[in-house]
Amino acid sequence: MIATLGRTLILLALLSASAGSLVGFVAGRARSAVGSLWARRLAYAFAAFMLLSNLTMEYALLTHDFSVGYVAHVGSRSVPTWVTIVSLWSSLEGSILFWGLVMGAFVAAATWLTRNRFPEYMPYAIGVWLACGAFFSFLLAGPAQPFATIASPAADGPGPNALLQNHYLMAIHPPFLYSGYVGMTIPFGLACAALLVGRLGNDFIRPLRNFLLVPWIFLTCAIVLGGWWAYEVLGWGGYWAWDPVENASFLPWLAATAALHSAILVERKGVLKGWTVTLVIATYLLTILGTFMTRSGVFNSVHSFTQSAIGPTILIFLAAALVLSTALLSLRLDALAREGELEGGLSRDTMFLVQNLLLVLFTFTVLLGTVFPLVVEAAQGVQMSVGRPYFDRMSVPIGVALLFVMGVGPALPWGRATRDQLGRALLPPLGTAAVLLLLGFALGARNGWTLLTLFFGGFTAQVTLGEMFRPIGQRMRAHGEGLIEAFRQSQSRGSRRFGAYVVHAGAMMVIISIAVSSTNQQSKEVQLTRGESASLGAYTLTFAGADRVVEPHRESVRARLDIQRGGRELGTLYPRMTYYESQREPIGTPAVQSSLGEDLYLSVHNIDDQAGTVGLLILINPMVGWIWIATAVMALGGLVALLPIRRPAPAVARAPAAVAAIEGGS
Amino acid sequence: MEVSAARPARVNVKVLAAASLVVVPLLAILVLNLGRDPRSVRSPLVGREAPGFALSPVGGGAQVALDSLRGKPLVVNFWATWCVPCFEEQAALSAGARAFPGVKFVGVIYEDEEARSAQFLKERGEPYPSLMDPEGKTAIAYGVFGVPETFFIDGGGRIVEKHVGPLDSETLALLVRRTLESAR
Amino acid sequence: MRAVITLALALASVAPASSGPATSGPPPSGPPLSGQALDARTESVASLLRCPVCQGLSVADSPATMARNMKAEVREKLAAGYQQEEILAGFERSYGEFVRLEPTLHGVNWLVWAGPIAGLLIGALVVGAVLRRTGRAPAAAEELPSRHTLPDDPRLAVAVLRVRELAYGWPGGIEGGPGARGGESGGPAGSRS
Repeated sequence: MIATLGRTLILLALLSASAGSLVGFVAGRARSAVGSLWARRLAYAFAAFMLLSNLTMEYALLTHDFSVGYVAHVGSRSVPTWVTIVSLWSSLEGSILFWGLVMGAFVAAATWLTRNRFPEYMPYAIGVWLACGAFFSFLLAGPAQPFATIASPAADGPGPNALLQNHYLMAIHPPFLYSGYVGMTIPFGLACAALLVGRLGNDFIRPLRNFLLVPWIFLTCAIVLGGWWAYEVLGWGGYWAWDPVENASFLPWLAATAALHSAILVERKGVLKGWTVTLVIATYLLTILGTFMTRSGVFNSVHSFTQSAIGPTILIFLAAALVLSTALLSLRLDALAREGELEGGLSRDTMFLVQNLLLVLFTFTVLLGTVFPLVVEAAQGVQMSVGRPYFDRMSVPIGVALLFVMGVGPALPWGRATRDQLGRALLPPLGTAAVLLLLGFALGARNGWTLLTLFFGGFTAQVTLGEMFRPIGQRMRAHGEGLIEAFRQSQSRGSRRFGAYVVHAGAMMVIISIAVSSTNQQSKEVQLTRGESASLGAYTLTFAGADRVVEPHRESVRARLDIQRGGRELGTLYPRMTYYESQREPIGTPAVQSSLGEDLYLSVHNIDDQAGTVGLLILINPMVGWIWIATAVMALGGLVALLPIRRPAPAVARAPAAVAAIEGGS
Repeated sequence: MEVSAARPARVNVKVLAAASLVVVPLLAILVLNLGRDPRSVRSPLVGREAPGFALSPVGGGAQVALDSLRGKPLVVNFWATWCVPCFEEQAALSAGARAFPGVKFVGVIYEDEEARSAQFLKERGEPYPSLMDPEGKTAIAYGVFGVPETFFIDGGGRIVEKHVGPLDSETLALLVRRTLESAR
Repeated sequence: MRAVITLALALASVAPASSGPATSGPPPSGPPLSGQALDARTESVASLLRCPVCQGLSVADSPATMARNMKAEVREKLAAGYQQEEILAGFERSYGEFVRLEPTLHGVNWLVWAGPIAGLLIGALVVGAVLRRTGRAPAAAEELPSRHTLPDDPRLAVAVLRVRELAYGWPGGIEGGPGARGGESGGPAGSRS
């Protein structure tokens, strides 16, 4: 019964998406207001049916209705309720259903927010969104049907994948990731609409940028949450392994970051319109490529779903999207004529171009490395690997160069700078740069790249903080405002700019933390019997014993380790080995003692509670905690940059155009 | 996606060429690799000399060396008591060891404890010896990815076949026959 | 390098079986290592090997038993004086090229190394071309009336300033304007260049 209801809802979603897509394109072409209205209504209908089908699945999961195919596949009566709820995205079919929900939410929200604006563009944009929605509904209706009916249902099911049950981050990471991926559909639709209409003015670049920024924030968080999950669960002490699926999430992030920056040039100078649209479209195509990589079984990854039948279907969609986008770009790109000029020389304009070049190069390199084993397999029939050593070697120089541009770019004025300006802009930040370099050296960093990162990081820090707070100082001088009033005023007027620099500050911290944590790790492997101690750095660990923890859905053997640092008691850590019914081999769960400076990371290799022995990997990871904090700063900065869309939006959106009009007329 | 008829559509050849340069190879590679299982890696050892070993049997006794097993075809099966598929193929292997007197069988324990393996062997009564591989050196030399994996070595010490996953009687018979034929 | 593999293979096949796989192959070609140098070298060589039972993790990173065994073997060989390339070739003999995490420079593999470098060069040329095209627009910003020059009509100038301020949040609407150029007080006059 429930299964039939679910299938019906999915068919209705498919129907409204396909119809809405068609209506959207026709209405866009015919400039029909009625058609546009119906495209909107069908977009809301699509979102509603997706919501209802997801609620139906949650109901089936929570009532343990094993006659529903997906519930029989991942449900279990013995797992905690939160695991049952997040089981929705723990396996292939359910994750696509959830994908549909996220898509419905994004499409409905974007349709609502643009309801009275851009009448020329929106029907096309809705047409594109719903075409993508129709594809995912089709996946759910056929190749990845979650609502299959099981004729003779079992009394209980196996429960979701053990690795996913093992940590609460698995409840948070996928929604962020899907929002990041699916949300890119919205700017993609807007970019296609701009091409189809043949115009990208200052009025339209703003929504394009903001709708790109929202999924970008989600994707930023998702990438780092994925790394955090790996760090807290996989037990090897790292957060990033350049695994194909990790790369798959990084690729659209890089392209989107490039697009967010080139959009600034579109807005300020009226140049790079075609390039920006291309980057936005590439971002979306990379999310589809990522979906294929995660779900086709062609790539070897710890994060991927097992071999599935939907690979070919996604590949057909990817191929169609690639071919249509290429056709659209080559036919319509010339319509987006530039309205201004870039300034050459050592200027901020140039730095924007260099930044874009570096990000695109980064994207290309990661993409090349990720698919290269497939190239060799196809060309020579040889199975080879491209792994972390390659990516590290390539990404470190690019990352350091990006940090350099992030510091120098904002320090330079728009347009050509005089020698004098250059000196004033570039010399003072060298102070902080030198301080950070010396500080790193004094604290024991010896890796050349790390020291270079610290140097550029210090430079960037001074420039970024200066740019963040300079308008406040200027306001205080110019308007005689107090500090708080000046902050509030410059905040509400320049929040996008301020937010962007907050993001820069966070990004700078992430890069520094990665550089420091990856080159200054201390490690030791020990085998301890009860009562024995081991020490690493300033820490001393005493193995107090092992015990067994039995829960309904799993059983763990955990080691108790009393931690001392420099003679001071820090408490007890419990790294463990967990046995799940659904899995033969145990899963090690590390224990982490975090502080601002460094993490003490304990991972169990082997443990015997009867004999009272434990084999441990002890790591001291400096600055890892800063990555999570700095990412939160980045996300916060992104949110601040979104703020003005709420209240002063119309005035702000029209202002540059007004300036141009007034200036042009004088 | 259709193109607005407002302006005559002219193809920007540069854009088309640049995009095709990325799109066409990418699609070609993905299509060519579709359906391939990245988890099955072909062994470079097939057709080569089998790596030597000298290991003690489970429960103790004189070391068994590869050299001492030469002259007759040899089946080397990597297994462990914690591995369910190994358990499943054990019947086929035992039957095979009895059915092909001209072929030697040997098991190699993969990442498992001696006591547990001995217990298992006693219960099941396997007709051929299993050897302990304490630091996994033999498994590494044979390029083992997981268990069960089975190598078929001819009388001259050359690896003829490698089978990944549990064996059934038919496959075992087929691979043993190929090993026997290759010896001639 | 191919010669090394071929040689290793040839010698491996005649090496006495009783010596075990860990010491088969040619005699070590370098000095034996020990102590901290051995620890560091073990990590760096192990980080170039792919753990066969994991997915994409290196032998240095992986906590799996197999990876730990392989790491022990790397250590043993380094201690005996084998060089990195000999050790990697040894594992490649068993597992194929798959086991190397860093592609070697042979066959089509050079493409993966040359690709990014070619990309950088092409990208630099494109950026250079874009800048040259715009560079022809004459002279430095200082000598020309700025984009931000105000209209002569004072009432219009006030309106422009107001709109700019709304748009950009800067007094006078020009960042890096009055404040950056030497601390004059910001105002309509200050923003004229």
